[in-house]
Amino acid sequence: MASAISPDDGRCCEASAPRRAAPGLIWFPLACVLPLVVLMLGFFLWPLVGAIVNSFHPYSLAGINTAHWTLANYRTLLDPFYLGVLWRTVRISFLISLITAVLAYPVAWYATRLRPTAQAYLLILYVAPWLVNVAVKAFGWTVLLSPRGLINRSLMSLGLVDSPLPLMFNETGVVIGLVHAHFMFVLLPLWAALGGIDRNLLWAASGLGATGSAVFRSIVLPLTLPALLAGMIINFTINMAAFATPALLGGSRVQVVSTLAYRINLVDLNWPLGAAMALVLLAVTLGLVLAAQRLGTGRREASA
Amino acid sequence: MRTGLKLFNGAMAVFMLAPLVIVVLISFTPEEYFALPTTHWSLRWYREVFHYPGFVDAFLLSLRLALLSAFVATGLTFLAVYALVRFELPGRKTLDGFFMSPLLVPAVVFGIAMLQFLNLHGLYNSFWGLAAAHVMIIVPFAARAIMAALHDVPHQLEWAAMNLGAGRLGTIWRITLPLAGRGVLAGFLFAFIISFDEVTTTIFITGPAYQTLPVRVYNYLTDQIDPTIAAVSSMLILMSFGLILALDRIGGFKRLGR
Repeated sequence: MASAISPDDGRCCEASAPRRAAPGLIWFPLACVLPLVVLMLGFFLWPLVGAIVNSFHPYSLAGINTAHWTLANYRTLLDPFYLGVLWRTVRISFLISLITAVLAYPVAWYATRLRPTAQAYLLILYVAPWLVNVAVKAFGWTVLLSPRGLINRSLMSLGLVDSPLPLMFNETGVVIGLVHAHFMFVLLPLWAALGGIDRNLLWAASGLGATGSAVFRSIVLPLTLPALLAGMIINFTINMAAFATPALLGGSRVQVVSTLAYRINLVDLNWPLGAAMALVLLAVTLGLVLAAQRLGTGRREASA
Repeated sequence: MRTGLKLFNGAMAVFMLAPLVIVVLISFTPEEYFALPTTHWSLRWYREVFHYPGFVDAFLLSLRLALLSAFVATGLTFLAVYALVRFELPGRKTLDGFFMSPLLVPAVVFGIAMLQFLNLHGLYNSFWGLAAAHVMIIVPFAARAIMAALHDVPHQLEWAAMNLGAGRLGTIWRITLPLAGRGVLAGFLFAFIISFDEVTTTIFITGPAYQTLPVRVYNYLTDQIDPTIAAVSSMLILMSFGLILALDRIGGFKRLGR
């Protein structure tokens, strides 16, 4: 244990040196972990388990009827109305991930060709909007996209359109807002993956006569596919859960699971149904994520 | 091709900044409605913000909430992650997955679960209920930053300190924490800004007495729209950019997305 105390050796010996600070010592790490574990069991896992339990109780005007058990809440969710909202949420979330991926490729490609300082500025440009409050971003889009907003007024005063384009209070508005809000979740993994590609590969391919699109299809896309998928999966999950952006930019006509769940839980106060909706959303999200990951690893093994 | 790529990236930069820039511009116009281009500028709406107690109170609440949540989350996560990185604790992988698991649960789902939980346990419409939820949301972000920072601290230095007679906690306090300081600070700042800006979970669990600033902005927007909200929003944008520059200074962005 005293053999490697020189600070210079710190990194090189990391792999070979034993991890343990003191062999067999268990109470100290346990005591370190315990507070966080207890807090998370109490305020993260317990509420989630509680919601699962609530979703199997019937609704009563007084709240939750804990004396009885039922599947009625899940049966309600099979109604075409609820299934329609769920399908719309999945469809919009996927569309946003797809559009983001298409837009992120050229940005990442351009970024990896810049000097490191310029790359750092570009990184801030794309991360910053994520760290600005969602309601504030939605407000900015409202000013731009609404029927009497800046874009429509400009287009009309230029005589390009006669009546305002429907840019918000519909799915278009939600898509624009969420592509903007969650852009970096696809861009950053793609950026890292593109930066890791050996440029000689690309030169060799084009030297041998491959066209730009052939280079992209046979070299760039396969090498960046894992990063692209990883980014799109995260992007998709947070699109599924978005609340303020669809509520403010979609208006009342574009109901998604989160806005509907808000109404059921806080306006109708039907908690069992609200809990069931939360769990369906969780199951659908996790299920699609697992499916996408399996697809990703299958592809990688096939191409290896 | 080269100019095409440049043009596209210029357009994307405009797309990223447009909704933020427009809010700041609007906040300096004197008219009741959104009048751009404007003929003159004014600070009228900023004065208005400070005369509307709703926003000032909400800001102070959000500040208290974010500071406390970030402090608790960073402190507890540091201890836990330290144990995971430095010791061979049984079930290390499981614990690591558990600490990151709030990322897997959509914010709405956690909001609904928390709403029902807090109500059933009499914690609804309380500061502590909000704080507990916020700590859960930001633990994964703090954990990721702190884990990266701890991996960069040579553990031989800690052994040296202990060999020379320092206690375990003393070693953490005097050796590990200063060496991992930047990473831990980055974790704290990330945790702070995510807590301060959180809307989706918070909107389910804020009672009437405890509306955070983002929730108040959201509720205001569903009700009416005037440049007062542009002034509040501009201040929020300014705060976000301040924190982003601070994060960039201490290298907090280097590991994002890797």
